[in-house]
Amino acid sequence: MAQIQPPGFPIERGKIHEFANSLLDDDPLFHDLNAALAAGLPSVVAPPTFSSAAAFFPDPNVRGPSMKGLDMRFLLHGGQELIFERPIFAGDELHSEPGETKSWEKEGKRGGTMKFIENETIWRDQTGEIVLRVLNTLIQTAGVVKES
Amino acid sequence: MSETIWNQVKLDDEYSFELKDVNRSHFVRYAGAGGDFNPIHHDQTFAEKAGLPTVFGMGMFTAGVLGRVPSEWFGPTSIRRYSIKFTSRIWADDTILFHGRVTRIYEEDGVPHADLELKATNQKQEDLIRAEATVRDWKP
Repeated sequence: MAQIQPPGFPIERGKIHEFANSLLDDDPLFHDLNAALAAGLPSVVAPPTFSSAAAFFPDPNVRGPSMKGLDMRFLLHGGQELIFERPIFAGDELHSEPGETKSWEKEGKRGGTMKFIENETIWRDQTGEIVLRVLNTLIQTAGVVKES
Repeated sequence: MSETIWNQVKLDDEYSFELKDVNRSHFVRYAGAGGDFNPIHHDQTFAEKAGLPTVFGMGMFTAGVLGRVPSEWFGPTSIRRYSIKFTSRIWADDTILFHGRVTRIYEEDGVPHADLELKATNQKQEDLIRAEATVRDWKP
């Protein structure tokens, strides 16, 4: 993988089309610029979880510290909360900044001691307005989680 | 649809669809689109070394498909809040039911809002995700 990272997270029609495809979502407002314009929108809409695709534009200030030292074999995604101030559209240029990070431990039944890591990411648009806050929770387990 | 949904929606209204025969190509396509290249989701050898029988899907794949419930139902610009808790994993050959129910209808600053309870459940009746969403009548 290339190491160079462009700044920011440009929201692109092609990427939205590809992302919506991967979710088997046929809504024209994700795929068809003319349909979006006819609906009075500036461009195609990004699906609700599209900010996950920011993995392609990792801001070292946001993602770096949270992933360091974690064992990828035993890392689970606990949950995520997305709070939108407005929908995200193709053509937006988003930038992220880190919010609060919290971590705590809990005894689990199926995978030993679990460490929870919660990161907040704040996304602003090209005018500096907040459009989205993302609270993401990762769970580091001590070993493989057995099926119940 | 989204123009009229706010005139029709009632408490306890439901919306659901099924995704049959989940397979590894779903996970790989989502990896390409979403950027989650954790090998646990595409590399059988890596999964076996971690003690798993096979790869499992990304939680955000399932969450993304579950996001279609509020998006198809109330329109893709309606999402105000989407909160997901992962409770079990998605595997190849699963059949998943994606389901939503209206738990509250209200107005905030004159704008119609609804709260939804959402879940993704597999063929063994295990919930993979329990989620909530708030949708609103967003205007450009």
